[in-house]
Parts: sequence; structure tokens; C-alpha cells
Amino acid sequence: MTVPNEHMLILAAILFAIGASGFFIRRNAIMVLLSVELMLNAANLTFLAGSRMHSTASHAELSGPIFAIFVILVAAVEAGVGLALVIALFRRKQTVSLDQLNELGD
Amino acid sequence: MSAGAIACSLVVISARNPVVSVLSLLGSFVCLATIYLLAGFQFMAAAQLIVYAGAIMVLFLFVIMLLNLGTDGQATGPLERTLLRARRLPFVLAIGGALFLLAFIAIQTQQTVRAVDPELAERGTSSLKGLGELLFSTYLLPFEAASVLLLAATIAVIVLAKRERREIAASAGNADARTEAGS
Repeated sequence: MTVPNEHMLILAAILFAIGASGFFIRRNAIMVLLSVELMLNAANLTFLAGSRMHSTASHAELSGPIFAIFVILVAAVEAGVGLALVIALFRRKQTVSLDQLNELGD
Repeated sequence: MSAGAIACSLVVISARNPVVSVLSLLGSFVCLATIYLLAGFQFMAAAQLIVYAGAIMVLFLFVIMLLNLGTDGQATGPLERTLLRARRLPFVLAIGGALFLLAFIAIQTQQTVRAVDPELAERGTSSLKGLGELLFSTYLLPFEAASVLLLAATIAVIVLAKRERREIAASAGNADARTEAGS
């Protein structure tokens, strides 16, 4: 019961496309952060598929999982800081809609 | 599993209620963890479940509940809310029963899975050992940089939260001064 590498790459591409479209069509700050998490997961899947492609029966290539661990760490940091920013914005403006947070453009 | 991950991800970006999308993202992460497990990355599957599904999603849920961002306008009165909860009860019971049944079947079929793929567990243990050795030799510098990044993020979040408290204290001080002036 093994997973083909090509299927992992195709799934990663589809997940990244879904995350990117969510990033662009949603106007809620929290939904945008969730879409970013989805895209980071697709990147993780790609790292692991690449690691499997380059490992042989005797030698396992482990750079991919290590980079995936770093990506998970960065995702955790991003979620923490992003949500703190969202809370700070909500306290100031009482909204998390990105359409109403455009004072830099005016 | 791939189909489940894709379906859950589509629900994530199309759901109107943020809580629904967070929960479906949780389902997507669980599907991805299963794929990692089937692909032979046991440690990655565990990290995915613990860090993503355990920590990050709970953080998102906390913020959504804190800011009260659910779809407003439905279930306003206490009576309506009770009715809504009663209507949801069969779904909750069905999902709980399905999960229990799944766990039961998983425990029953544990032996057969081990018989089907005996080298999977062996490879997982060896890859975990190699992962640790590589992390503390070749990738030592990124590892230390990651610790600095975590420290910086912790300080940043504390500063972001603290500034608001000072503003609240200042406004409270102003209110005190105003009441004193009034009296």
C-alpha cells in the first residue's frame, strides 16, 4: 500500500491552487491566513514527494523531511503573529474584513 | 484520501462560517497526515497532527471564538438556540458513533496492516534516527536560526498584546480623572 510520487505532486499542485484562489477571493483576514496554511501544506507535500523521488532502497534522502519540519515551524510562527495582528486590528477597527482596512491606500 | 483532502480544502475556501472552514481544514490536515503515513514518513505524520491539527487549528478556533466572527443573525433567542442544538444532536451522535466504530475497526485490523507492510515500521524508525542526526549536524545552523525565529515571534506577540493593555490602562486612568473632576 504505497503512494505514487506523481499522485503526491498532483495533489500538492491542486491544494496549492485551492489555497491561492482562497487567498485571492476571500476578504476575511482569518480566511486569508487559513489559505496560507493550505499553501504551506502543499509545499510540505512537494518536499516529501521530492525526498521520496531521490531516495533509493539503500540510502534514504532526508533533506525533504527536514525542510518540511522547518516549513511547519514557520507556519506556526506565521499563524501566531498573524492572529495577534488580526486581534490588534479588530480592537482598533472592530472588523476583520480586508476591504475596510485600506487606510494605507487612501 | 487525496479526494478527501481536496474536498475538505474546497470547503475551506467556500464556507461562509469561519468555524466550518477551520474544521474542514482540520479534516484536510488529517487526510494529509494519513498520506504522509502511507508514504512512509511516520514522524512527519505525527508532527502534522500535533503541530498543525493540535496547536495551530486550536489557535485559529480560539481567535474566531474570541472575536465572535460566526455568521450572525441566526439563533438569536435562547429558545431558538436550544431548538437548533436539539436538531443538531442526531448529527453529533452519528459522527461520534462513526468515529468510535472507526477506532474499533482500526484496533481490530492493526495486526493485518502490520502483516501487509512489515518494512514500513522498520524504515520509519531508521529514518527518524537519520533525521535527528542530520538535524544536529548538517542543518545545525538553520536549527539555531529557527530557535531565534521562535523567540522573536514570541516577543513580537507579547508586544502586540501588551500595547493594547497600556492603552486600556490609559483610558481607565482618563476615566478615573474625569470622575474625580466631576465629583
